[in-house]
Amino acid sequence: MSLAAEAFVSQIAAAEPWPENATLYQPLKEDQILLSDCASSLAVQAYLRMCGLPVQVRCRANAEYMSPSGKVPFIHVGNQVISELGPIVQFTKAKGHSLSDGLDDVQRAEMKAYMELVNNMLLTAELYIQWCDDNTAAEWEIRRKMSAVGWAGKSLEQVYEDVSQCCQALSQRLGTQPYFFNKQPTELDALVFGHIFTILTTRLTNDELADRIKAYSNLLAFCRRIEQSYFDEQDKDGQSGSSRFSKGPSLI
Amino acid sequence: MSAPCELYCWKGNWGLPSVDTDSLIVLAYARFAGAPLKIHKVTNPWRSPTGSLPALTSTDGSFSQPSKIIIQLRKQKYNADYDLSAKEGADTLAFISLLEEKLMPALIYALWIDPKNYVDVTRRWHAENISFPFNFFLPSRMQGKQLEKLRFIRSNPSLEAGDETEKELYCDAQECMNLLSQRLGSNKFFFGDSPSSLDAYVFGHLAPLLKIKLPSGRLQQHLMSLDNLNRFCSDILSVYFPNENVGYKVSSQAEGNDFDNDPNKRRKQLLSVLVAVGAMLCYALLTGIVAIEHVHDQEEPSISAGLHGPSQDEDEEE
Repeated sequence: MSLAAEAFVSQIAAAEPWPENATLYQPLKEDQILLSDCASSLAVQAYLRMCGLPVQVRCRANAEYMSPSGKVPFIHVGNQVISELGPIVQFTKAKGHSLSDGLDDVQRAEMKAYMELVNNMLLTAELYIQWCDDNTAAEWEIRRKMSAVGWAGKSLEQVYEDVSQCCQALSQRLGTQPYFFNKQPTELDALVFGHIFTILTTRLTNDELADRIKAYSNLLAFCRRIEQSYFDEQDKDGQSGSSRFSKGPSLI
Repeated sequence: MSAPCELYCWKGNWGLPSVDTDSLIVLAYARFAGAPLKIHKVTNPWRSPTGSLPALTSTDGSFSQPSKIIIQLRKQKYNADYDLSAKEGADTLAFISLLEEKLMPALIYALWIDPKNYVDVTRRWHAENISFPFNFFLPSRMQGKQLEKLRFIRSNPSLEAGDETEKELYCDAQECMNLLSQRLGSNKFFFGDSPSSLDAYVFGHLAPLLKIKLPSGRLQQHLMSLDNLNRFCSDILSVYFPNENVGYKVSSQAEGNDFDNDPNKRRKQLLSVLVAVGAMLCYALLTGIVAIEHVHDQEEPSISAGLHGPSQDEDEEE
């Protein structure tokens, strides 16, 4: 979203309260949804639930094409369409809902940094693993893309190592607190939950990634806690035939 | 410990020990950790043992990329992060991600993609400092790689130089610099009184912005407005790289010399033009395209006399 458009959206957003019929669109679950898209969508859902903003989830095969930026997920609120967690957080902030207002400057800097860490490590790892999992002839394409960010020499093993390192950092930061910034969840908690939960509950050909994450018990407990606090009620309307988002006991 | 390792990195300028961010990161970390390195400042990545810069060679092999080099130095017990707590170690990882996602793209844009900066500063420095014949094609090759890297990081395969791109990138970078400034506060370094790898990373990204004078300098101006980051970089330069500051004075004289060299350059240009014209003239003369008649002036009378002689004879005969 360009800067001018963002400012415009913020102004418009501030005008109206959050409607009851806000909808979140994501790609269809079976076969079509990328691991990373799934994680991003779950992160947005978690964030909105943490803000106490109701949203219905709809799966559409052409969600990517419906989205203004081509990225999923996106939300349709009133007559506005906003995609990706970052802009959605800003949008809700303009409407007066924010999870990070209570943070001081240093904490906010740390929160943004950790969000980038998750994006950097987990998102890229998810993409890498998804491509490898697809097992198509596009492996050379993966290599070419990864070489642009210096990931070319990375074997799958090294990608797993990176994910472990990222999770270790998250685990150390979380410590024994219920959320990353103590008592209240923030967008960082939503983002971490989205990614970790997705990795743990998605069936891949290789379970090593999930196993590595399971080594960090406080992250597991963190995910369970958010799942129980915010996803308790089964949102059957928006689930439309998906089992991946079932918030049942899938963390074990 | 093992024998001292050797580090290959880009040469420096403008008061910096190196003009390249990754090289700066490694150099700074090595100084912070007190690692005795034999440093080779080169201007051609192909001279490096791994084909890219920076590169570290040790008894365990060769390594490139700052993260791998730092890991290797840590293995050799040169660890600037020894005193960090687990949480601080985690914060380091997080802030490095922030730098790489939000600041580095803008830095790449400012140095390599912005047309004015690239032509006036980056390409010029590389063309002047890389040896023949690599200086003809390496700079543009490097630019291509940087653009590809930028496109991948921003997930935008069609990213091009332009106002819109610049605004987005610079906005993110300014936010990142603000966050860094907030995190640093009034501390000397990011984690206490002694520098760590995060300080090296931040220094590596900010120092080029601080020191390299760019014609399109919006990003620089923002950095200048953040006093604590300014001070942070300057302190590291003056404490850990004092010789470069001396070098900077020399290079400012060199810049003065550049002005002196300008007439020299002009002279050289004039000479080369004269040589070219002279060569063309010689060629023309030798092949007879141009014939100079007046050279034979003194001989002409005799020749013409000679010429006229027979003709006169002929005339007389006629």
